Amino acid sequence: MTLSSRMILVLTSIGLLSGGFLSSVGLLTKEKIALNKQKEVKKAIIEVTPGTRLSQKLYEDEEEKLTIYAGFDEDGILVGYAIQTSAVGFQDEISFMLGTNTALTKINSLAILDQKETPGLGAKITDRESFLKYWENKDCSGSLSLRKPSVSSPEELSASEINTITGATISSEAVLDTVNSSLVKVRILKEEGKLKTEKENAR
Amino acid sequence: MPAKSIKEEFAKGLWKENPIFRQLLGMCPTLAVTNAVINGLAMGLATAFVLVLSSLVVSFIKKIIPSQVRIASYIVIIATFVTVADRFLAAFLPPISKNLGPYVPLIVVNCIILGRQEAFSSKNTVRRSLIDALGMSLGFIIALLVLSSIREILGSGTFLGHQVLGSWFEPWIIMVLPPGAFITLGVLIALANIVEQKSRARR
Repeated sequence: MTLSSRMILVLTSIGLLSGGFLSSVGLLTKEKIALNKQKEVKKAIIEVTPGTRLSQKLYEDEEEKLTIYAGFDEDGILVGYAIQTSAVGFQDEISFMLGTNTALTKINSLAILDQKETPGLGAKITDRESFLKYWENKDCSGSLSLRKPSVSSPEELSASEINTITGATISSEAVLDTVNSSLVKVRILKEEGKLKTEKENAR
Repeated sequence: MPAKSIKEEFAKGLWKENPIFRQLLGMCPTLAVTNAVINGLAMGLATAFVLVLSSLVVSFIKKIIPSQVRIASYIVIIATFVTVADRFLAAFLPPISKNLGPYVPLIVVNCIILGRQEAFSSKNTVRRSLIDALGMSLGFIIALLVLSSIREILGSGTFLGHQVLGSWFEPWIIMVLPPGAFITLGVLIALANIVEQKSRARR
């Protein structure tokens, strides 16, 4: 066998073997990975719309990265909406879930799903004490605004004000702007009747 | 070069040829993911998994690989195990997979792994290559643990997520940021050099 045909043979068989091996590893883990993502989303829905026993996807726009879920309590009554969307943060996308009441006038809370912000600064958006607690029970009938310089307790803010993280204005602003713009979109969708739950459809 | 005993073969990775402190290889993951002990440990274990299995396979098939395509073959073998490690983490340890982000796939280009194949596994028996890979892995894990412990304790006041320093301690945020990695690594390498010089002078 010439050297070049041996080179081709060896490299091809290594490639084929590893390809075959990897495809079986991929098959074995694919479901589990998809399940992990689903679980994470479900956990976030329950977290941001308290009282939810069952959730249902109402709307999904992959291009706009906007997914809306409805949360129902044990009697099947709508308790609120969970809006999953993503903002352009300081480093990368910040994906989060926002929970509102059924009238879209009050924010229950916010949960961060995925972010790659600076550790110690922007990454504090995942921290309840520094950021998330300032999102609880906010009035979102109008648009929300950012309080800067930041204050040290939620009581010092007005009903539609959100605290800024010191040293991470861009991250705080990114989340706030996306919340405002997606709430506008969701309201339009609701008025257009695109957020009907199955039960309402049946009626 | 006289043949080393099995014990020496293993122990050289811990200090004399420690991949980080003595050979200065694999600096990218070393600097990037050591902001918390859990991340350092996960990166160390993932790298150890890839290094040990790659060394086994390479030393096993070293005779059939023509030397012209050896580097390409090593990279395919290494990339296969890295992908396995990446899928496994995403499926079974999603939070760690999220923290490590792109650094798991980047193990492919970790010089420690390719370096050991080229310098050792391609010239030694399967048994010796396994011992060498285990020693190098342990040396790498220990170095990452030392680095990440210092950075997590000073940068967040915690160890493995548990508060170890009291509330009086104001975390040095710089320690969990990239400059903290360079400073800590520089100090550690300086210490390693001092220790090495002293022990050489004694000899």
